[in-house]
Amino acid sequence: MDDLFAPSDVSWTPVSAKLAAVRRLNAAITAGVVAIAALLVLGLTLGWLYGVLAVVVIAAGLGWAWILIGRNQRSWKYAEREDELLVTHGIMFRELVVVPYGRMQFVDVTAGPLERAYGIATVELHTATPATDAKIPGLHPDEAGRLRDRLSALGQAQAWGL
Amino acid sequence: MSEPTPAQTGQPGETAVVDPSGARLHPLTPFVRGWGYFVVAAVALVNNEGLRQNLTFAGIGLAAVLVGGILLGALSWWFTKWQLTGDAIRVDSGFLFRRTRIIRFDRIQAIDVAQPFVARLFGMAELRMDVAGGGKSDGKLSYFTYDEAQRLRTTLLIRAKGEKAAEQQEQVQQAEAEAPPLLTVPTNRLLGATLLSSTVVGSVGALIWLIAGTMVLDFHVGLFAALPLLFGVVRPIWKQVVGNHGFTLSESSHGLRTKRGLFDVQRQTIPPGRVQGLLITEPLIWRLLGWSRVELDIAGVAGQKEDGEDDHEGAQLLPVGERSEVAYVLGRVLPGFDLARIQLHRAPERAKWLRPISWRFLTYGVDDQVMITTRGWVSRRTSIVLHHKTQSVRLEQGPIQRRLGLANVHVDTPLGPTDAIALHRDQYEAAALVQAQADRAREARRTVSASVAVQTQPNAPRPDGASSSAASPADDSSDR
Repeated sequence: MDDLFAPSDVSWTPVSAKLAAVRRLNAAITAGVVAIAALLVLGLTLGWLYGVLAVVVIAAGLGWAWILIGRNQRSWKYAEREDELLVTHGIMFRELVVVPYGRMQFVDVTAGPLERAYGIATVELHTATPATDAKIPGLHPDEAGRLRDRLSALGQAQAWGL
Repeated sequence: MSEPTPAQTGQPGETAVVDPSGARLHPLTPFVRGWGYFVVAAVALVNNEGLRQNLTFAGIGLAAVLVGGILLGALSWWFTKWQLTGDAIRVDSGFLFRRTRIIRFDRIQAIDVAQPFVARLFGMAELRMDVAGGGKSDGKLSYFTYDEAQRLRTTLLIRAKGEKAAEQQEQVQQAEAEAPPLLTVPTNRLLGATLLSSTVVGSVGALIWLIAGTMVLDFHVGLFAALPLLFGVVRPIWKQVVGNHGFTLSESSHGLRTKRGLFDVQRQTIPPGRVQGLLITEPLIWRLLGWSRVELDIAGVAGQKEDGEDDHEGAQLLPVGERSEVAYVLGRVLPGFDLARIQLHRAPERAKWLRPISWRFLTYGVDDQVMITTRGWVSRRTSIVLHHKTQSVRLEQGPIQRRLGLANVHVDTPLGPTDAIALHRDQYEAAALVQAQADRAREARRTVSASVAVQTQPNAPRPDGASSSAASPADDSSDR
């Protein structure tokens, strides 16, 4: 099954496991804030039992998200073919994107505060259409820089007219 | 007030911003410009329930709005002055926040004289200067009398491009104006097609149902829903019949040209190398009559909607046409292309779990030049994308699709009406298709772009056809 979304004629590079850590932390923070809010709101209006119940539900959701995030992180892979960049990701909703380097309009490297703290960055390749979803999260900053330089060099060398 | 390079913004406190020299625009300008404001004010007053009983109050309000509007318009007119300097045109405007804009002649890509509807009633025109990198409204100067605008345009053209180029351009324009049209769409067909389009038919049906429901069941809440439905009836008719009135397709040295519109004539050039994809739409009833609509993706056209004047995404190639006409225009845009020759592959039958009725219409087909996908039951959409214009290829699969062993293949083109998605294919077929599309795109690009120079300057043709004056040497020539 896997070979459908990750053809084996290229070598796939997985993304850093830190991506999962960042996303889990993010989820934990969000869940924590929501849990406190739910506890207070429900506790003060309906009764503390409901508040605690809500917190339990949120905690269960977080646990589920914890597992999903891990699986999702392992599903992110990218490959550099001679003329195209391939990115695949997703467990429930799977996607494989094939972008020719020559179609590149610009490359973005972004890193939020949490990502910076963990030392990862996101590289995104933009083409003339926003439908192209060539985003690779969870890259080591050096790798992100290398990929950015390589993509822009290849994009320039192979540029296709619109 | 961040403006692109050719414009400069004066600071409010700056001295000597008000240059005593310079000419004012036509005195009727504030009225022509602000007529919509007056109409809206009047309609708002008339419609206001509270004011309807009190007519004197309404009259006073209307008068106040009118006087205020005229005063503001007059002030704006008084403080707007333009002049030609040695190498630029300078426009001073604004009365609280003064602004000086200088547009250098050598930055002007194209100059057009346009006549919006109300301006035409008064015999006035505005000058539209196309500035590379600037928004549409950046180079507008309105209003002049028509003759004055033409004179000024010639003057600017001579200053911007030299006398010879200006003359040449006039000739080209004249020759193009005289060229016989390739195709025109008769108004009655336009009207008929609009009335039979899915939106209008659906809205009318719902409206009738609603009215009947209201009468019989005495269910008055339903009337509120009538408004959007009414809108759904009137808007397409207005857009199609008025906007596409007298649709004409003709040939020019820059590619195919379209001309349409009853009040505000819109012109658009379709440079041959810029077509990214096509979309053929056939609403249910049109199919029985053999009608369809053809739209195009042109690089740089869609997504440029600064003015809200043209809410079309992409360009219309044919608002409604018979099969032979559709085949003709397709052949015109893509030489050697024949839709009927391409073999279409249907989606597997198990797709009916996701698309109970329309799975039969999910097809795709490929030849060496394009890929075609069709879908839709009520309104059939046939997307045609060119291999060498493909931006990216995507394979997608959701949880239900995975259970059924199906997957979607998207072939992305730049913003526009075309959306080539081969929906619900067998997953192995889909995966193979993605690879094949990537290969085809690579191959097509090698064979096609070997002869085509890379477009270095993103000089997009404007949706309002501002490039119809074609004072843009860099525009279309490099695509040959």
